[in-house]
Amino acid sequence: MVGFLQACLDGLLIGALYALIGMGLALIFGVMRIVNFAHGAFLMVGMYASWLLFDRFNLNPYLGFIPAGLLLFALGFLVYKALIQPIRERSDFMQILMTTGIALILVDTAQLSFGADYHQTNIELVNRSLHFGPFVMNAASAVSFAIAAVFIIGLQLFVVRTRTGQALRAIAQNRDVAPLMGVNVTRIQGLSFALGLAYAGIAGGLLLPALYLFPSVGEDYTLKAFVIVVLGGMGSIEGAAMGGLVLGVTENVTSLYLGNQWALAVDFLLFLLVLSLKPSGIFGRQRA
Amino acid sequence: MRFRSFVAFLAVLSMLAVVPAAHAADGNTVKIGVITSLTGSQAAFGEAHKNGYMIALDEINAKGGVLGKKVELDFYDDQSKPDQAVQGVSKLVDQDHVAMLLGSYSSENTKAIINPVTTHQIPLLIPTATADNVMDSKSPWVFRICAGAAAYAKTWIDFLKKNGDPKTMVIVYEKTNFGQANMQAMKAAATAAGIRVLATEEYEAKAPDYKAVLRRVKDKNPEVIYFCSYLLDATTLMRQSQEVDLNPRYYTAAGTGFSAAEFPTAKGAGKNAEYTLSVSQWLPEAPWPHAKEFDAEYFKRTNTHPQYHAMQAYQSLMTAVQAIANAKSLEAAKIRDALKNIDLKTSAFGPVKFDANDQNQHPVLITQIQGGKYRVVFPADVADAKPIIPAPKWSDRH
Repeated sequence: MVGFLQACLDGLLIGALYALIGMGLALIFGVMRIVNFAHGAFLMVGMYASWLLFDRFNLNPYLGFIPAGLLLFALGFLVYKALIQPIRERSDFMQILMTTGIALILVDTAQLSFGADYHQTNIELVNRSLHFGPFVMNAASAVSFAIAAVFIIGLQLFVVRTRTGQALRAIAQNRDVAPLMGVNVTRIQGLSFALGLAYAGIAGGLLLPALYLFPSVGEDYTLKAFVIVVLGGMGSIEGAAMGGLVLGVTENVTSLYLGNQWALAVDFLLFLLVLSLKPSGIFGRQRA
Repeated sequence: MRFRSFVAFLAVLSMLAVVPAAHAADGNTVKIGVITSLTGSQAAFGEAHKNGYMIALDEINAKGGVLGKKVELDFYDDQSKPDQAVQGVSKLVDQDHVAMLLGSYSSENTKAIINPVTTHQIPLLIPTATADNVMDSKSPWVFRICAGAAAYAKTWIDFLKKNGDPKTMVIVYEKTNFGQANMQAMKAAATAAGIRVLATEEYEAKAPDYKAVLRRVKDKNPEVIYFCSYLLDATTLMRQSQEVDLNPRYYTAAGTGFSAAEFPTAKGAGKNAEYTLSVSQWLPEAPWPHAKEFDAEYFKRTNTHPQYHAMQAYQSLMTAVQAIANAKSLEAAKIRDALKNIDLKTSAFGPVKFDANDQNQHPVLITQIQGGKYRVVFPADVADAKPIIPAPKWSDRH
């Protein structure tokens, strides 16, 4: 039982980061109906930004995620204006090609700029553990969980409570009617794309100390982000948050009882089950 | 308009097709093809390969090259992916017309190129792939300079029998060819030697979290853990072993990540790497001529000390050029026959001579990280330190 609870705990800790990744993707998908195949690549950019600040200016990655998130926010606006807006109304196929192309360019640019060698930010916190009775928590993971929780709740509040958030949901619910109600669709879409990427950047910055960094590190996370978004119901932001936590726990429990080789398989099994049996996500109806 | 852009597209394509032809071999150099992982998750090893090859290349050309021509290396980056390695064979052989091939880095990628190499009838010298199945094809074109998984396992059993004689083991391995082959070799050897293998745990390298795997191992409470891991995973495994407070008497490993230069440094597992035992195929302190000079040159170029992967690349190129010199020809079949007859009594990597299955019988060393450095602890005649067994519990380390 202790083993099971411990696995759940570890799962929640990593799951909060998955939640950030998934929420970013869900935001973009919900408001723009664009499946961002470059999500993992943007996460990688966030990781490099945070790593560079650590490497050059000795900035702790648990602060470095802030400039990383801001950078990705700005990058998101630029990419939206230059590349996404022109193809916004085109076919899904164009959008897939565009975002996949962006991913390739980002990964190769990272490779050319920083080489393919891996990097780590061995900070002291990563080697420290917190003990609670029979349970143990990595100190770094606990910090990243706390930061992620703030951003998860923050985004949820932003979407539900603010006028901009309402506009955002209005577009997600009906893109044709929203502009008739005075919503500036272009501006709001640009904002959600930028915000979605900022969340990928923040997640990247927070993942950095626990993981290691190389140009193609994001690939796995693009896939995971899709799984998370589907678990939570396509385009649902709070659903994606829950989806991320569920994915983290599932992976850890699977690894504990069946072995690590089954973790990815069970991820995708869950993905297929949800898609075929309950396409609106495990937490109910489809919404933004 | 459509048609015109289509024509333009064709025009561009045809130009692209013409460009590689300009690269065709000229008569003044001997081109040797190198496939390795310069990018991707195994780039750290690919980089070590490249450094080793370049040192060998400079030494060779400083002495006038081979057959009166300069040697040129033609690198193909397989991006740590097997399908890319296979494309490398076609590119290097069909387009660049290299005289022979060296590579790749990993067992996975090397296994993938065995068949293409055999169909292209081009000699291949394998520097670092330890999975024994790369030699299974018995292809007459494939030679291997490094020791393999079975040799690793045999050395481990010898060592364990003489150092405490443990009775139980768990094998934790990454799921590609390297990990699987080393797991199987160790499982067979341990079982035959009366060591009970309580579990074999497979994992996916590149995951951020192995704690669940390590907790499974902890439940089994083995005396020995045998890791078959690359560098990124080795680092995380040791950090998280500390975190889950996993305390076997022996942390052992099939080289690779656990014997990479970065592993005991801050860039790798740092002080969590301490006391881990690993097989090694070569160290700068190895009792062979030119080993020290290689170390010095490598350090001068990269500011780090080389591990065996770099040496294996170095000696592979040295051996390849020796074979070409002996063959007095760039004909593939003649180079292959010259490789078969290579008999270096000694080299910076020890004696090099290929057996009936084209495998070099290379001795395996066991090292332990003590005070942040790799020390040879086995076999006794070349050891420079005594093994520290058991590894202290994490709670007793500071």
